[in-house]
Amino acid sequence: MNGLIEDFKQNFLELDRWKYLVNGLGTTLLITFFAVIIGAVLGFVVAIVRSTHDKTGKMKVLNAICKVYLTVIRGTPMVVQLLITYFVIFGSVNIDKVFVAVLAFGINSGAYVAEIVRSGIMSIDNGQFEAGRSLGLSYRQTMISIIIPQAFKTVLPALANECIVLLKETSVAGYIAIQDLTKGGDIIRSQTFSAFMPLITVAAIYLIMVMTLTHLVGKLERRLAQSDRR
Amino acid sequence: MIDVKHLCKSFAEVEVLKDINETIEQGEKVVIVGPSGSGKSTFLRCLNLMEKPTSGDIIFEGKNITQASEHEMNKLRQRMGMVFQHFNLFPHLTIKRNITLAPVKLGLMTQAEADAKAEELLERVGLPDKANEYPSRLSGGQKQRIAIARSLAMNPDVMLFDEPTSALDPEMVGEVLELMKQLAEDGMTMVVVTHEMGFAREVASRVMFMADGRILEQNEPKEFFANPQNQRLKDFLSKII
Repeated sequence: MNGLIEDFKQNFLELDRWKYLVNGLGTTLLITFFAVIIGAVLGFVVAIVRSTHDKTGKMKVLNAICKVYLTVIRGTPMVVQLLITYFVIFGSVNIDKVFVAVLAFGINSGAYVAEIVRSGIMSIDNGQFEAGRSLGLSYRQTMISIIIPQAFKTVLPALANECIVLLKETSVAGYIAIQDLTKGGDIIRSQTFSAFMPLITVAAIYLIMVMTLTHLVGKLERRLAQSDRR
Repeated sequence: MIDVKHLCKSFAEVEVLKDINETIEQGEKVVIVGPSGSGKSTFLRCLNLMEKPTSGDIIFEGKNITQASEHEMNKLRQRMGMVFQHFNLFPHLTIKRNITLAPVKLGLMTQAEADAKAEELLERVGLPDKANEYPSRLSGGQKQRIAIARSLAMNPDVMLFDEPTSALDPEMVGEVLELMKQLAEDGMTMVVVTHEMGFAREVASRVMFMADGRILEQNEPKEFFANPQNQRLKDFLSKII
């Protein structure tokens, strides 16, 4: 027990090393937050283009572009995409690394969100679509008022899962020397030469965040399920 | 009110409607019967362009709608209510919102006006206490009555019914037919695809028999059932009555 307390003091209190974790956590949350927004927006747009194409045969060119995007992003590792974004695409410009990470993670997440949302849209019975159109609503109005709210409810668990995956995946941000939570823990390890305390703490912080997120999503799901209650 | 000229419809290679020519006047209650696969639902769905005709013209209220733009199509559908076999209520919205969604979204009524209209319609279909329920809590018959109310909220000039009682448990068929009968008595122009011969006999101003993508015979109901001419119709009637 005394050993643990010593370990704790050495890793976190000495030289204010806890700041590595706190600042790292801030960076992790920052990247995750904005990447989720980019991913959601991008994903929705791509999903709508793809399902409009599937339903009506319109938007051929856009659909082709979206397909290339999905194939490339889902076919290559996240870390490689991050490295390419930083060292190749923004290689010759001096740019904030966190911004690069937000962009890379957002674009990556968008591909997964797109397929999740599209599956949700396609899962809604065509009769819903016909009912909307038969009342005189346009394709767009039918999508926005009738199809997407139902699709959203269907895919919410999968979307939440994607958020959780993204949160954890930002731990590779260290590859472009961003000091996120994981990197923060690793810096402490490299200074104190004790691996257990900093790494376990980092893991615990991720776990708590994921559990909180899971809990919140469960609450939201129960609220959305109101209309299913018999 | 609706003029159909040389209407043909094919799905891939299959010819479902073969050169249909028909006129439906204001106030008529046309009931379409026939064996399954005869094209009756497709014919009905062509009338409000749920299916795009392969060739031919449909003239609705003096306007050829087969060439209608997206915008014109939405406008004309506002004047043609449609009731589906599987109700297709919006499960994520309350009954009231199901009814008010389209009139409000299309800018025809304010939310308050639509709410008042919804209450009036719920009264009319006999479900005034269901306004704030979700569709999942209703029986099939109740759902279909709400679906009818939802269509009526648009003040349509004609109502299209696509086998409105086929998905219902037998004990719920009556309540829906009763409502449709009231609607007919109020003077609504109706085109009804159904297997309910009793309804056809009692409510129709004209009964049509379709088979193999053609209208083979039509008559006012009494003659239609008592004195069928076409052999296919004779066979059909002998099987179901």
